[in-house]
Amino acid sequence: MKGKPPLQVATDKGVRADADARIVARLAAGDMDAATELYDRCAGQVLGLARRIVRNEGDAEEIVQDVFSQAWRTARAFDTSRGSVIGWLLIMTRTRSIDRLRARQSRPDTTAESYTDTLRAPGPSPSDQVLSDEQATRVREALVALPAPQRQALELAYFEGLTQSEIAERLTEPLGTVKTRVRTALMALRQGLRA
Amino acid sequence: MTTPHHDVIAARLSDYALGYLTPDERREVEQHAGQCDACSQELSELLLVMDGLARSAEPVVPPAALKQRVLARLGRETQEGVATVQPLPGRTVVADVRRSGWSGAWLAAAAALLLVAGGSLYLALERQDRITSELARVAGEITELQQRLGDNAAQADMVLSILTAQDMRRIDLASAGGTQASAARAYWSPTRGLLVAADNLPVPPPGRVYQVWLIGSGGGPVSAGMLGSLGAGRGLLIAPPPGGISTGPVTVAVTDEPPGGLPAPTGGKHLIGSL
Repeated sequence: MKGKPPLQVATDKGVRADADARIVARLAAGDMDAATELYDRCAGQVLGLARRIVRNEGDAEEIVQDVFSQAWRTARAFDTSRGSVIGWLLIMTRTRSIDRLRARQSRPDTTAESYTDTLRAPGPSPSDQVLSDEQATRVREALVALPAPQRQALELAYFEGLTQSEIAERLTEPLGTVKTRVRTALMALRQGLRA
Repeated sequence: MTTPHHDVIAARLSDYALGYLTPDERREVEQHAGQCDACSQELSELLLVMDGLARSAEPVVPPAALKQRVLARLGRETQEGVATVQPLPGRTVVADVRRSGWSGAWLAAAAALLLVAGGSLYLALERQDRITSELARVAGEITELQQRLGDNAAQADMVLSILTAQDMRRIDLASAGGTQASAARAYWSPTRGLLVAADNLPVPPPGRVYQVWLIGSGGGPVSAGMLGSLGAGRGLLIAPPPGGISTGPVTVAVTDEPPGGLPAPTGGKHLIGSL
C-alpha cells in the first residue's frame, strides 16, 4: 500500500504530551491536587462515554469512580510516551462499561479475557499515538457521516462491545455483511484522521 | 512483498483495535506489527480511531457530589508502587565518607549506612504490607516485588549482623599498583560474613569486573563474591562467610576477573589489606 500520506503531527501534540507526563508523574507521587486537576479536566468525557455505553446514571457514576481509582493506583506504571492520559482513561472507561453492560444483559464474555487497558501499536513515534482535538472532531464528523448500516455496525462493536458474530445475530444479517460494514466504517474514520 | 502470515494478521487488525482478540492472538499481532511497517501504520491509525470514537461520546457535566466521592475514595486508597523497592543506599554513605575525611570518620559512615539501610528496610517492610494486600490479584508482579524486597531486607540484615558481630575486625584496604588512590574498608566476621565498601575505584579493564578474595593462614585465596558496582567508582560487597577461612590473620584482596568471576584469581590486584 504505497503512497499513503503520513499522518500529520499537529504541533499541539508535543505540548500536550509534556503536560500529560507531568500530571501522571504527580499522580504517581500521590499528589491529590493532580488528581483533582485530572478529574476537572477529564471527568466530563469519562462520564459521557460511560453513560453512552451503559445508559444508566448510577452505573455510569460508579464507573467514573472506578476509572479514577484505577488511574490513581496504577499511575506509576503508565507510560506517557505510548499515548495520552485522556486516551488511557477512556480505554479504561470503555472496558469497565462494557463489562458492566455484559453483566446486566447476562451476556457471556466471548473473548477469553476481558479487554486489555493497554492496547498499543508497537513501533511508530509516540506523538503519532496522541489524538489531537482537531483529529477527534474529524473522526466524530466521519462517524456521523457514515451510511446508517455502517454506523450502526460500528457503534454496536464499539459502544456495546459486541463481536461481529453477535452483531450479525442481533441484526439478523450475514456475518460477511457485518464484517464488511465494520471494515468499511473503520476505513472511513481512518480517512478522517488524515484529511 | 507480503506473505500469507502478513495477510492473516492484516485482516485481524480491526479485531485487535476493537478488543476482540485473545491474549495469544494479541501477542501475535503485536509481534508481526513490530516488524511490518504497513501493519504498524494501520494499527496506529486504528487505535487513534478508537480514541476518536471514545471522544465522540458527548461529554457531560458531572454532578458536584460525584467529585467529592471520587476524591474521598482516592484518599483512602494506596498506590501500587514499582519504585517502592529501595536500592541499597551506598551513594549516601560514601558521600559522607568523602566529606568527613578518613580519620575517625569511618565508624560514623558505617553508622549512617546502618541508619539508611535500616530506614529503607523499615520502608520496605511497611510498603510490603500494603503492596501484598493491594496486589493479591496480580500474582506475577507480587512474586517479583516480594523477591526484590526480600533481597534488600536480607542484605540490610547481613550488614547489621556483620557490623555488630563480636568477632568482627576492620581491615583497611590500599590500592595495589596503579596511580589511582582508592579508598576501601573491609569488615570481616568469620561467623557473620564480609562487608567491603570501596570508593574511587578505577574503571576495571574492558570486559572485566572486580572480585573479592579472602586469604586465610595456610590456605589459598577463597572467593567472597563479586564487588557490586554502585556507579561512579564505588563498590560494595555484602557476603556470608565463604567456607575454608579459619579465624586468625586474614588478607582481603580485590582483583579484576571475567564477568561471573573465577574459582581462583587470575587478574591484576587492585586492593589489598591484611590484619
